[in-house]
Amino acid sequence: MAAMQQGEASLSDFKSLIEIDLNSGVFGSNWAHCDQISTYVARMVSHNRSDSLLYANLLSSALNELLETVFRMHRRDGSFLCAVKRRGPVDRVEITVSCQAEHLAFYRGVMNVLEGPDVAKRYRETLVAAAAPGPQVGLLELAVDYAAKLSVDEIGDGFLRLTADLALEEQTI
Amino acid sequence: MYEAPHSTYAVSFDENNQEFSLAGSMRPQHVEELGACLQVLRSSLNVVRGTFYLNVKRLVRLNNIAFHALSSLLLKACEERPELKVSVITSSVVGWSTRKFAVLEEASANIAVEEYDSAFYPGQAFLEEGGFIPILRTQTKMTWRHEKDILPRHGMREGLSIADICCGAGDFAVLLHKQFAPARLVALDHSKSSLDYARQVVADFGVSGIEYVFGDAAEMLLDDNQFDFVTCRHSLQIFNRPERILKELYRICKPGGRIYVTNEKISHCLGEPHKESISWTYEQLARLFDHFGMDLEFGPKSRRYLMDAGLDDIRTDHFMVSSDDGDPRDFADVVKSWKVLFAGDMASRRGDDAQFIERFARGFDDHVFAALHPKGYAGWPIWVASGRKPK
Repeated sequence: MAAMQQGEASLSDFKSLIEIDLNSGVFGSNWAHCDQISTYVARMVSHNRSDSLLYANLLSSALNELLETVFRMHRRDGSFLCAVKRRGPVDRVEITVSCQAEHLAFYRGVMNVLEGPDVAKRYRETLVAAAAPGPQVGLLELAVDYAAKLSVDEIGDGFLRLTADLALEEQTI
Repeated sequence: MYEAPHSTYAVSFDENNQEFSLAGSMRPQHVEELGACLQVLRSSLNVVRGTFYLNVKRLVRLNNIAFHALSSLLLKACEERPELKVSVITSSVVGWSTRKFAVLEEASANIAVEEYDSAFYPGQAFLEEGGFIPILRTQTKMTWRHEKDILPRHGMREGLSIADICCGAGDFAVLLHKQFAPARLVALDHSKSSLDYARQVVADFGVSGIEYVFGDAAEMLLDDNQFDFVTCRHSLQIFNRPERILKELYRICKPGGRIYVTNEKISHCLGEPHKESISWTYEQLARLFDHFGMDLEFGPKSRRYLMDAGLDDIRTDHFMVSSDDGDPRDFADVVKSWKVLFAGDMASRRGDDAQFIERFARGFDDHVFAALHPKGYAGWPIWVASGRKPK
């Protein structure tokens, strides 16, 4: 119980910065939405970081990879919510989308990979392999190149929440 | 230069330098969207011999689909032609770029990744060494006495969106912030140590609202047409290609906005007594900077450069920072530091002999003497110019 309370307290420590709330079909109607949302959100939340320009560039890159993954692995109906929260140097990105069992299985499969050995090696081999990289590459990149802490949770019936905690401030100084 | 319709990126190949350049944002959904770009890359790889340069300094965004498509072609070329070397030039101001392309170094011994950094800034190494920052701050204090009155004649007023490019230790930005209350103020420099100093100063003095950002004045990440007023002080003179900086200042300035530059004509520094010794030393100083690819005689050339950059409504001013402004000891301190930096470090690096350096240093001593003498005078002239970006 104490642990749960502590968890709730730390969760509430994250201040909400911005939310993009869309119909899932609207989000999935145009690939450019990934670029547009990541660029816009990154600019809006980076102005008070120690280097706003570098921070926005990094956050946009990381967020875009998350959004491109979700774009490929989402249902065309239901809802899409992209929220960015902040606690000190950490920005938390939460993407909540409608999902089917196969989507959840995909994300859980990637999380298992991230907990295993040689994640960096696996990521780099994927990037230079003859075959085009699959949808998991963006999540591997976030874990390896951006040191993101990733998690996926099933919330309610038919929804999943993909969470990425990013401490990019250290990478811009 | 190839640019696909509605494309978010630009592609070019300079055959003379065997340099293939990508700029902008490449985030395709399908690799087929890059067809024309990949065709240019393929044909470029086919015609080069020796080293092929891939310039991604201004490639701001790149997704994994595009990276994989580019890297596949490069790796295939290296595999088929073992004599081919590929040099990937990244930028330190695009945070993800170097580590992303470093994957290619691991995948092929023929590929090397080089982070472009200070080669474009021949003067910066001199100025960053030896604790020069406090002197830059004193210089700004002295020039601000004049510029705070001059700036409104060049279009400065409250509530503007301002970029201070090559902001150095950041004092000018702080003074602008206090005096003109801008709506937004971005201060950019390529020296991390200067930016650290600037951030510490504003933190210590509780100033908020200035965005100090790391960047390359010749390849800025700032978007087009953003700022009402763009300043670049004492900097065009220390770049060997000032027109490249001006092109970027023009790009980020809004149509109808103004670009404001200050520069020196160092040989016109003067003093009494000992005017001959002082004049000789500053003429030699101009030649010394010229040796290192910098033009401290730039001031009166500002009008021409601004016009050539496409600006109109050019306005010019000049003022003399002198020992009569405020405390003459400030002036003397600045000249003493010039002596250490220029007659010490820089002249030695040029290979000047002891006799020359002694005479060169004496002119600075005489300038200090003139500044501090109760009946003396010492001056340091600054040229100001601004122009409007046409609407």
